Amino acid sequence: MTNTRIDLPQGTLDLLILKTLALEAQHGWAISERIQQISSEVLRVQQGSLYPALHRLERRGWIKARWGTSDNNRRAKFYELTRDGRKQLVDEAAAWRKLSVAVAQVLDVC
Amino acid sequence: MLSGLLYRIRALFRRKTVEIELDDELRFHLEHQMEKHLRAGQFREEAMRRARIELGGLEQCKEECRQSWGIGLIESLVQDIGYALRVLIKSPGFTAAVALSLALGIGANTAIFSLIDAVMWRMLPVKDPAGLWVIDQGLTFQQYRTVRDNNQVAELAAYSSVHLNVSVDGSIEPTVDGQLVSGSYFSLLGVNPAIGRTISVDDDRVPNGHPVAMISYGYWKRRFGQEPSILGRTLSISGTPFTVIGVTPPEFFGLEVGMAPDIFVPVMMQPTAMPAFENLLDNPIIYRTWLTTLVRLKPGVGVPQATGALETLRRQGLPQGAKSAGPNFPNLVLTPASTGLSSLRKQFSQPLFVLMAVVGVVLLIACANTANLLLARAAARRPEFAMRLALGAGRWRLTRQLLVESVALAALGGLCGVLLARWAMRLLVVYMSSGRSPIVLDLSPNLRILFFTAAVSVATGLLFGLTPAMRATRIDLWPALKSLGNLLSRGHGGLQPGKILAVLQVALSLLLLIGAVLFVRSLQKLAGDNFGVSRESVLIVRVEPKGSDQRNIPGTTARLDRTYQTLLETVREIPGVRMASLGQSTPTNPNPGAAGQITLPSGATVRVPMVMLYPDYFATVGVPMVAGREFNSTDLRESSPLVCVVNEAFARQMFPGENAIGKSCTTSHRQNFNDPTRPRYSDQEEAVQIIGVVKDSRYSNPRGEVQPVIYMTFLQTPTGRGQMVLHVRVAGDSGSVLPRIREEVLRVDPTLPAFEVHTLAQEMDAALVQERLIAMLSSLFGALALLLACVGLYGLLAFGVVQRTGEMGIRMALGAGRSDVVWMILKEALLLVLAGVALGIPVALGVTRLAGSQISGLLFGMKAADPATIGTAALLLISVATIAAFLPARRASRVDPMVALRNE
Repeated sequence: MTNTRIDLPQGTLDLLILKTLALEAQHGWAISERIQQISSEVLRVQQGSLYPALHRLERRGWIKARWGTSDNNRRAKFYELTRDGRKQLVDEAAAWRKLSVAVAQVLDVC
Repeated sequence: MLSGLLYRIRALFRRKTVEIELDDELRFHLEHQMEKHLRAGQFREEAMRRARIELGGLEQCKEECRQSWGIGLIESLVQDIGYALRVLIKSPGFTAAVALSLALGIGANTAIFSLIDAVMWRMLPVKDPAGLWVIDQGLTFQQYRTVRDNNQVAELAAYSSVHLNVSVDGSIEPTVDGQLVSGSYFSLLGVNPAIGRTISVDDDRVPNGHPVAMISYGYWKRRFGQEPSILGRTLSISGTPFTVIGVTPPEFFGLEVGMAPDIFVPVMMQPTAMPAFENLLDNPIIYRTWLTTLVRLKPGVGVPQATGALETLRRQGLPQGAKSAGPNFPNLVLTPASTGLSSLRKQFSQPLFVLMAVVGVVLLIACANTANLLLARAAARRPEFAMRLALGAGRWRLTRQLLVESVALAALGGLCGVLLARWAMRLLVVYMSSGRSPIVLDLSPNLRILFFTAAVSVATGLLFGLTPAMRATRIDLWPALKSLGNLLSRGHGGLQPGKILAVLQVALSLLLLIGAVLFVRSLQKLAGDNFGVSRESVLIVRVEPKGSDQRNIPGTTARLDRTYQTLLETVREIPGVRMASLGQSTPTNPNPGAAGQITLPSGATVRVPMVMLYPDYFATVGVPMVAGREFNSTDLRESSPLVCVVNEAFARQMFPGENAIGKSCTTSHRQNFNDPTRPRYSDQEEAVQIIGVVKDSRYSNPRGEVQPVIYMTFLQTPTGRGQMVLHVRVAGDSGSVLPRIREEVLRVDPTLPAFEVHTLAQEMDAALVQERLIAMLSSLFGALALLLACVGLYGLLAFGVVQRTGEMGIRMALGAGRSDVVWMILKEALLLVLAGVALGIPVALGVTRLAGSQISGLLFGMKAADPATIGTAALLLISVATIAAFLPARRASRVDPMVALRNE
């Protein structure tokens, strides 16, 4: 099973995080679980790179953090999208779709 | 953008909290992950291990998160600064030496820059200073009134700076600087009072009808202890009580930069406030433009339009016969008044900019010196750098750290420099104030000055730090590490940039020395050019007897004349007095008398200052006669034919190539002083014969052309003024004669106040304050530059000698004598110095060519490219440098071959 997993291409982690947070605020661990579940365990998120990415997005002002209480009643850092983040998600998603369509087209033709 | 900044600031300054949060966040993650594995049936230990592996190393993850905060650069910079400070504290001698030489350089720059800022750029503390204009030419009161009342383009206000005789509670104050201001003055400027009210338009309607005054904040504080009861108090100005109605705000010093008027009185009070002066509200006898006029344009009015409109009105007030636009009546010009008006600016801007260039060069030399020291130090620290490079430090990281060290040094120097500058500026202002009136400048540091100093410091640090830092980190690791211990004794190729720097220093200091010698010699020429006679022994007493203002009143002039004659007779009797005379002003005064009109034999009419004198004036003050004779007692009589003495400038301009003696001009200005039945002025043209020509008094205008002047005797001069200055030439010590003179002055007329007693020498020094300032400062900076360059040279040679101890030992072991070794080092030094001189002379010539007009404006009777000057400077430099080189050379010759070789 491990062999079928794909490492994330550069730069797509940010997009996935933004998309995951679009539904509701989440803490870091939930984000990594969520991405793996939704991608049917195909994408492998390096947990070690998740947190630097979250901090970077926070610095850019696309997501913001607040401390809250998790399901099992523990203090956890929750991230949520900001207005800028929502806009960024729309832009990046569109760019990604364009890219994948284009790549697919090239692959089909050749 | 902003949120990112806030994020970074939080990460920087709430570092502890942020770190704890990071820990919590990651711990939370690990616990969840572990629970997940536990639920999948793992043992606790294994679950924990897996969770950690999946995160990929806790510390590594944390470090990556920290990098995401985007504060890495700042953090390592903070580290660098901390390290730099520790390094600098560890070698206090080096730090102090560098900081001191930089403090001198940066301090001098800050001081001169602050002066330039204060004199040139500071905005006036008034409403909308950018909309304020000033008419370049003065106006008479009539002109001002005409222009003010009839123009459609602008609001006007006027003022005139005056000395006032003030007494408070019956005791006489030292002469107070004041201003006569129009009623619109304060409202036009938008200046509100600190307390009380300002002089308004209603305080300035009727001549002599408004005895009110405002005083300055400084005077209020100084003289009246800031008591609010000052409002409503009366001050006596020239014997008339004036009521104080308000105090100007502390930041207001009038419009003239450098001046600080203490009393403001309505223009309409001029005759009352200045009884010793003619009534300037009336049509004065002589066209006297005594009002400086301020203009605020109405909305939508352009400057050219306003200039035209105002000029038309002004021309209506020009005196008869002068309406043709001659050189004496230049067209009206509006100049921006936003940074204040300043004769100070005219007088000192050029020297200040020259001095700015000079201190810039001093700073460059200090930079070169520091760079040299750092090079030597970097050589000593090579093992440290080699080790750090070997351990994996990046070269850029090392270079950056060295640069941070340099900038820290420069910042330290800058800090000390600012303190030094504050002290130096006070001295400078005191020195500049040794002229005719005290100079008050706002020298408080502002953003511009702070920015300048900070920029200079950082640039300095980078300038002197870059080369050493680049060289220090370019290390061949292997040999450097191999011989960690005795690296210093290897090779002297590392001195090459040091030599280049030494040559540069020598060249730059030669530049400054040439400048210094030039200015000093110019001053010597100027001071020694005219009055070869001992100027120490001429005393000057200004006398204004009662009634000297009312010369126009029949009978007054004759009475004044009798007073003066008696005064002269008694003063001449005093033992120790060799000669005495009265003149309208001292020979140093640039405006010696009111302009009078005279017609030349050619028929041309000229306006030149006419100065009233008594006989023996020229002999007393020591102005030599060039041709003809001085006045005698016959010329003094009113009934005698009119005669005059002119200066060389007059003779040269009016009678080029001719002998002026005996030439007859005509004037219609002869007045009738004594007979009330006759009209005041005779309409008849009357001949004035030139009987003598005197040498130009260069002191009256040290920098420019000497203006033509006509001298006439007291009773023959057409003027409304009657005040004179008593000049007394004494044989011995002036101190013993002075009280006797004062006594006699009082005995002749008890009402005669005698004030301002000083010597002609003091007056002359005051007249040359700009020249003395620039000569003194350029000498000071030249000496400083020389000192720095020699210290640099000394350091370089001393370092070289230490490095080459072994070589010296070998040479001496092989039979070289001490003198050979001394000569070897000296030769090396002389080569450097000569190279510097060879570089410096063409640079100096180039500079004088480029900035020739700037410099030659400050020189008197000297060419900027003067071979003697350059020779003197070069000789001075070479001899001092040789002394500096001799010390290490001698040390090299004292090397004991045995010891040197054993160490090797």
